[in-house]
Amino acid sequence: MSGKAPKDPRFPDLSYAVLPGARSTRVSGGRTIEELEPEYKIKGRTTFSALFKYDPFDFWVGPFYVGFWGFITVLAIIFGTFFYVDAVIIKGPYSLPQNFFAGRIDPPPASVGLNLVTPGQPGFTWQMTVFFATLAFVSWMMRQVDISMKLDMGYHVAVAYGVVVSAWITLQILRPIAMGQWHEGFVLGVMPHLDWVSNFGYRYKNFFYNPFHAIGITGLFTSTFLLGAHGSLVLSASQYRGSEGSDIEDTFFRDVQFYSVGEAGIHRLGFIVACGGVLSANMCILLSGWVVQDWVSFWNFWTTLPFWSNV
Amino acid sequence: MATITRPTGDLKLGPDRDGRIGKPISLPVLENLGFDSQFGPFYMGFWNMAAYLFGLMAAFIWIMVMFAQVAWNPVAFVKYFVVLQVDPPPASYGLSFPPLEQGGWWLAATFFLTLAVLCWFMHVYTRARTLGIKPYLAYGFSSAVILYLVIYIIRPMWMGDWSEAPSHGVKALLDWTNNVSVRYGNFYYNPFHMLSIFFLLGSTVLLAMHAGTIWALEKYGAHEEWAELQAPGTGTERAQLLWRWCIGFNANAYSIHLWAFWFAWLCGITGAIGIFISQPAFVDNWYQWGIEAGINFPDLPPAPLQ
Repeated sequence: MSGKAPKDPRFPDLSYAVLPGARSTRVSGGRTIEELEPEYKIKGRTTFSALFKYDPFDFWVGPFYVGFWGFITVLAIIFGTFFYVDAVIIKGPYSLPQNFFAGRIDPPPASVGLNLVTPGQPGFTWQMTVFFATLAFVSWMMRQVDISMKLDMGYHVAVAYGVVVSAWITLQILRPIAMGQWHEGFVLGVMPHLDWVSNFGYRYKNFFYNPFHAIGITGLFTSTFLLGAHGSLVLSASQYRGSEGSDIEDTFFRDVQFYSVGEAGIHRLGFIVACGGVLSANMCILLSGWVVQDWVSFWNFWTTLPFWSNV
Repeated sequence: MATITRPTGDLKLGPDRDGRIGKPISLPVLENLGFDSQFGPFYMGFWNMAAYLFGLMAAFIWIMVMFAQVAWNPVAFVKYFVVLQVDPPPASYGLSFPPLEQGGWWLAATFFLTLAVLCWFMHVYTRARTLGIKPYLAYGFSSAVILYLVIYIIRPMWMGDWSEAPSHGVKALLDWTNNVSVRYGNFYYNPFHMLSIFFLLGSTVLLAMHAGTIWALEKYGAHEEWAELQAPGTGTERAQLLWRWCIGFNANAYSIHLWAFWFAWLCGITGAIGIFISQPAFVDNWYQWGIEAGINFPDLPPAPLQ
């Protein structure tokens, strides 16, 4: 049982301790949202009130918390959605439902380089949509920080979301800057972005041979496996009333595969695998075209390693 | 708020709790990281031993055939490991048993691999039954088993040709995946592939959301889910409020695992459907299918947009 066995004193302790009294807050059957929510709806304790002693948007709208970053998020969503819906759905070349699939916003032409496009020129809508989408994503992440501060918990959710945002930023901002033109960003639109991904893979010969792509895919498959294993284990253990109690989870997995990572451990492992997979996917995109032009001949280094080059 | 439906009586513990050999091995440094440190005791049952045995036989055939391909040179074996492959029989053999050197070894390895997968399913299923919990892990594993069977057994047999299955080998599996997409007109237009990718990425997002939420709330004991979903404490309450305040609604300690199960399960199932119907008898070209379905418009040049 993790958290109960002795630790190794030679290494730093990155484990956890459950606060005294935390377990005694448990209520059989649980409380309703109406019962518990008022206890947690306190004023202050947000990023903005920590900096400026005051957060002008420190309130809730229905179930949603707003906060300063929620305000920014709403603005960015309104502007970004306007540019996308106007260009793709309304002004698209087909009927409205067809535009949903086939409509597209192309990045600026290669001649623009890294300049900003003036209104009315090709690529302006793309730059505006990407700008406001990035603003919305980052503000949403900061809003998660606000909510985590309010609830006096760790920032892991915001970090995990930040990893997803980093994939967007890598694709639409970092790699285009590395390549020297906004033209390298991907097309916005449902089917066009699939075509872009497909073409991107073959542009660098074969993305299946990209090792960071392989690690990223492995991370996604492992995440799905861990999610299925953890979800099914908790669902089955939730109906268990035998003498083992919660230990049945560890007992079962030790019988199945000789090791159970533990109740806390599975969440740590899942977080690491999911985020690690996406970070590796970032690398596979960033390196393509910037450092590596051809993932097939990339592997020539392997066959020409000195200790077996003559084998 | 009733988080779970309680069973009417206690689920009975099965009688067979023996079969575990050895003493647990402890690796305390794992505790420093929040992971469990105990390995074993080691359960040796019929089904998991059968699965290991068949799996080793499949791996043995695979390794030996590849080893023979490099004339038993160990350095060459390591150097060329990822590109060596054991091919299925050529199409001319259909479903008949070919000579060993022309796909017979592939058939033998696949046979034992399939047995190993099915024995592992039985192991997971029977072990849950014996310990007195519902076999939901086996239900979840069924998705992966079905995907495997469709790719290696059902689809090749339906098409009457073992050569439709992937070769055994690291690069060979990647090449098969690439080629089947190209052969059937680009899998990006395959709606079941889209669904499978949706559930794959969705599973990764759900895992990061759930795992991050619980990791962030360890000091409130939120990770003790068996206790929390019967009697939610402040940890689960904070987890629920985080998502209520962030996205407007929330799961609870029980239902998040329902979400988890179905996302992961549907990833494999939709993928299995998508690959099975990719054959001449059903859908020969997904690009063409996309045109007919009205989601792909290659002929109409899009009007110039800003």
